[in-house]
Amino acid sequence: MLLVARKNLFSERVRLAISVGGVALSVFLIGILLSLYRGWNEQVGGFVEKVPADLWVASDGTTDFLAAASVLPDILAARLQLLPEVDTVSPLIVRPMEVHRAKDPSDQTFDIQLVGYDPLIGMGGPLEVVDGKSPPGPDEVVIDEATRDRYGVQIGEELFRGAKSLTVVGIARGGDFVYTQVAFVTTETAIDFLSLEPRTVRTFMVLTLVNPEDRDVFARRLENATPGVKYVTPEHFASETRDRILENILPILIVVLIVAFIVGLAVAGLTVYTATVEKSREYGILKAEGFGNPYLYRVVFEQSMITGMMGFFLGAGMTLVIAPFAQDAVPQFVVFVRWQDILGIAGITILMSLFAAYIPIRRIASIDPVTVFKG
Amino acid sequence: MVEHRLILSLDDVSKTYGAGEFAVSALKDATFQVHGGEIVAVMGPSGSGKTTLLTIAGALLRPTRGKVTISGIDVTALSESKLAAVRRERIGFVYQSFNLLEALTALENVRVILQNHASNGRADAMERAREILAAFGLGHRMHSLPKKMSDGEKQRVAIARALAKDPELILADEPTANLDAKRGHEVMALLQQKAMELHKAVVVVSHDNRIREFAHRIVWLEDGRLHEHHPEDRFV
Repeated sequence: MLLVARKNLFSERVRLAISVGGVALSVFLIGILLSLYRGWNEQVGGFVEKVPADLWVASDGTTDFLAAASVLPDILAARLQLLPEVDTVSPLIVRPMEVHRAKDPSDQTFDIQLVGYDPLIGMGGPLEVVDGKSPPGPDEVVIDEATRDRYGVQIGEELFRGAKSLTVVGIARGGDFVYTQVAFVTTETAIDFLSLEPRTVRTFMVLTLVNPEDRDVFARRLENATPGVKYVTPEHFASETRDRILENILPILIVVLIVAFIVGLAVAGLTVYTATVEKSREYGILKAEGFGNPYLYRVVFEQSMITGMMGFFLGAGMTLVIAPFAQDAVPQFVVFVRWQDILGIAGITILMSLFAAYIPIRRIASIDPVTVFKG
Repeated sequence: MVEHRLILSLDDVSKTYGAGEFAVSALKDATFQVHGGEIVAVMGPSGSGKTTLLTIAGALLRPTRGKVTISGIDVTALSESKLAAVRRERIGFVYQSFNLLEALTALENVRVILQNHASNGRADAMERAREILAAFGLGHRMHSLPKKMSDGEKQRVAIARALAKDPELILADEPTANLDAKRGHEVMALLQQKAMELHKAVVVVSHDNRIREFAHRIVWLEDGRLHEHHPEDRFV
């Protein structure tokens, strides 16, 4: 590192602190937003991916798990079960709804994604039970731990929808979709709770195959054999489910990311620029003494880069330290910090530093060394 | 003792700023030579063209007409990067307002100039900077920032910096203007002593009459025209 760059930078500690602080805040904001996006991405599709199915079955036109706008006849399960390629079929009744606790007024509701499943098959039910019992019995429900944490629902409480209620008997993990969580009941309970008519209607079916590696070929064959029904892989279905939530959020996130980048760039750029203007005479002296423009550009570039990197390490550190606390304080604030994203932010910071140095460098190029002889 | 080696030569050099009816002629047909071991004072009133002469001689400003030669190199038509190389290798500057880098200590101010010189590594530059500052009686000020030094000390550091890279030509612009009479005399005596010891060609631009006693030759500049004077002459 050049002596002049280091000395100029560290001789103005307040300016350096402002500059580093500005870049750090920008990096922190970018880091938090990216981690939030990753966290939601992980969380929203997680349940669909983790159900140990090879294929999800839905009626044509169904987009995702959360909309649950699929209608399948129960008889389809029996037909599919007859196929030699199929190992297991589990029909599911899935319905988004609002419920309230017994002690809360009826208008103080929260969202759940009710999942009715066959406990004898198990597939599509709770992924991991962390408290209480599972499977649930008649008129019983196993809620997600996120529902417990967010709304304070405890085992033994009743959840109401109109005059009907379910008793919470267990807490499961892995069914948080950020704005809603899955709640598991038996198929019969789901039919009664939802007053389903006809009672033979199902929302989705999940299949396991004898030869899972053949699932794509088998899915195409089944689609031809059963018009109006689609067969999709868990990854595809999870991706569609993610898109439902994140597609709307992504443009907003991108705008905020751009704003954060511009703020960081503006702070770094302005401080590097004012430092350069303030030292214009000294750059003129160096030019007079025979220092070429490349040397002077390097001085500015190094100052900008060091400011940027200090800001990056501070901002990345803040992200790593503060993100878990934020998640504890606000359950919807689901963050997942990836090292690849941190590396990406380092790249963004380098870009920021390059841009921040550009205008000061142009300023240096225009300094006439003759001016140092005036006054 | 004046050598016969010609270091600086200006032949019929003119400099005009602007063009047409707004043209201002700052230097007119100036012919001027300085040899090794010689101190030449360029004197004249404000606005007479002294700084223009100095900056042309320092390869910082191109003349409108004429030829400038520094240590045998015709610098008139050199590229910017080659002019920078000439300044770096062959010219030392002493400025009116010292022009030390404020964030650097005295030692670093000298060292940074030395390190820019192709032949100096970092360790060599540090050692040479220490030596020269000690030779200028600034051993106790090596780690002081300019703001902690007196004006006299700053100018001594500036002269040390100018001589450190062993240039053939020293150009000093009003080196005593910001110093009181005593400090000004000390600084000029030091510049004279070191320049003579090292056989440098020195051009001192000033309107301070006290400079005359240190010069081998005095050149009077008025309205852009040069006139030779003897040191004994009095200026009005």
